[in-house]
Amino acid sequence: MTVFYLVAFLAIFFALMTIFTKNPVHSVLYLVITFFTLTIHYILLNAQFLAVVNFIVYMGAIMVLFLFVLMLLNLNKESEPMKSNFVKIMGAIAGMCLIATLLGAFRVIEPNNQMVVGNEEVGLVKNLGKVLFKEFLLPFEISSILLLTAMVGAVLLAKKDVKKV
Amino acid sequence: MGAIITLSVLGILVLYLGLYKAKNALLPVTLLGLLVAFGFTVADWNKDATPLFNGMVYFDKFALAFSMLCIFITALILLLSKEYFRNISEHVAEYYCLLVFSLTGALIVTAYHNFAMLFIGIEIMSVALYILVGIRKYDKASNEAALKYFLMGAFSTGFLLFGIALLYGASGTFDLEGLRNYVLTAGEISPLFYAGVLLMLCGLCFKIGAAPFHFWTPDVYDGAPILITAFMSTVVKVASFVGFLRLFSMVFVPVSDLWTPVLLTVVIITLFIGNITALMQSSFKRMMAYSSISHAGYMLFALVSISVTSAASMFTYAFAYSLASVIAFAILILVKRETGSDQFESFNGLGKRKPGLALAMTVAMLSLAGIPLTAGFIGKFMMFNQVMGGYNIVLLLLAVVNAAIGVYYYLHVVVNMYFKDADGEMQIQIPTSYKVVLTLAVALTILIGVYPDCVIGLL
Repeated sequence: MTVFYLVAFLAIFFALMTIFTKNPVHSVLYLVITFFTLTIHYILLNAQFLAVVNFIVYMGAIMVLFLFVLMLLNLNKESEPMKSNFVKIMGAIAGMCLIATLLGAFRVIEPNNQMVVGNEEVGLVKNLGKVLFKEFLLPFEISSILLLTAMVGAVLLAKKDVKKV
Repeated sequence: MGAIITLSVLGILVLYLGLYKAKNALLPVTLLGLLVAFGFTVADWNKDATPLFNGMVYFDKFALAFSMLCIFITALILLLSKEYFRNISEHVAEYYCLLVFSLTGALIVTAYHNFAMLFIGIEIMSVALYILVGIRKYDKASNEAALKYFLMGAFSTGFLLFGIALLYGASGTFDLEGLRNYVLTAGEISPLFYAGVLLMLCGLCFKIGAAPFHFWTPDVYDGAPILITAFMSTVVKVASFVGFLRLFSMVFVPVSDLWTPVLLTVVIITLFIGNITALMQSSFKRMMAYSSISHAGYMLFALVSISVTSAASMFTYAFAYSLASVIAFAILILVKRETGSDQFESFNGLGKRKPGLALAMTVAMLSLAGIPLTAGFIGKFMMFNQVMGGYNIVLLLLAVVNAAIGVYYYLHVVVNMYFKDADGEMQIQIPTSYKVVLTLAVALTILIGVYPDCVIGLL
């Protein structure tokens, strides 16, 4: 339990740092650490597969992508859009409403809840594979269309049009 | 299920046709594929529906009827596409493929029985559209629309997923049947479930473009190519509504005390924002974008007071609205091709030069405004009837006020067509496929207006 609280504290701390740092590159690096703490959470939950995927895909691939985009965009103070106070106040109110709703919802969660304890083995690769290829076979197969769509689209948008002669 | 498989294969087949440069075969093959998918849907009509694939999809009459509607409208839009895509770029096959995949997503959303399918369906539908919206690569408005749509879509999917996660946390299942059992049998419904319902509501309202989640709609509809706007505002919108209605009528009815006031507020804001902003537009395309927001408000009536007739009302309204939108956008394409602008002024004098086009446009506008003897009237009548059944007199009065505002801006273009003279001489060429689509759509609009039982009886 103590490990959990330590990691949870770190996760929240680094998430806040992600928001509050001025330098976008630092912000991305803090986000990497946040994802790392989440990976530890997955390991604590005995979800090995998720932990590995989170580690490779999010911390590896996606964060590198983030860094590249940041460097290409060349963000600095001058290019930061000015937001009016009205928008800021509205944002704060909306955020507070969301927090109130979620806190109200989460107050019932107890560690000994049947859903929380459940089957401890469920996160292992073997069991995950069984669920994926038995119960969730159809969504698993259909997600191939989603990936194909995204791939066609990416090629379509990125490819240079051949100039007509 | 046959329809979904056919369409998936069709998309890949179309890609291959593009690879082998068989450009003239694209449209016939796609239409043939849609016809086969339609046939599969019709063949399933009288079968007893059971959830298939471990309760992933459920092809009841509700799903089948809306699937047929989506396929039919897509076929009409594809007929309009004949010369359209070729002017934009060389890669015509990919556009057909993306449209077909988007339709596949729409069919999955109409028939889902598990949140995993809902999520994948919505994503397939939207990802294809993010790209289609931005296919005019060198047009700033199109780029902006695509980026905006992508960001807003990703954001709303976040809400949806968070909602799904909370519902799972409360009930331990993604299955609609299981969720319904949870709502009916659980002694005390967990607050997690309530928060989940609200988040799902937000996510789905984003997708259908209801206020206050409508900010992306006008810019995206305005920036996208007209044909894609037509597809977005008909097929995709209808499919999102079906997903919305299925979830709420099947699962959330027992907790309606929680969400009815929220949805009621959303409906009223949507109606007023959509109609009042539409009044002030000078561009026909942008007016249609705002009018689609207000129509989302009317369609939400079926959800505000859910009853056995909700599905039939939604179907009739969606049918009428889609037909009228297709007519309006088809004529806009022709007019814009000639005049190069989508302002109301470019319709000036259309009544004298092309009486046929002007007549079709008039029928579409009357249908959107809800004038009797058109399909739109029947749709509005059924929706208002729905609200009357729930004794929501205030909502009904507000809706009537809004319908009256709607008449004003829909007739604006009719006035331009018949009572204003064009500046210069111009000839609009109407391709045969446009004639077919317009005739069919106008005939159906009037048929439903005169003899509504043919549609209401389906569900």
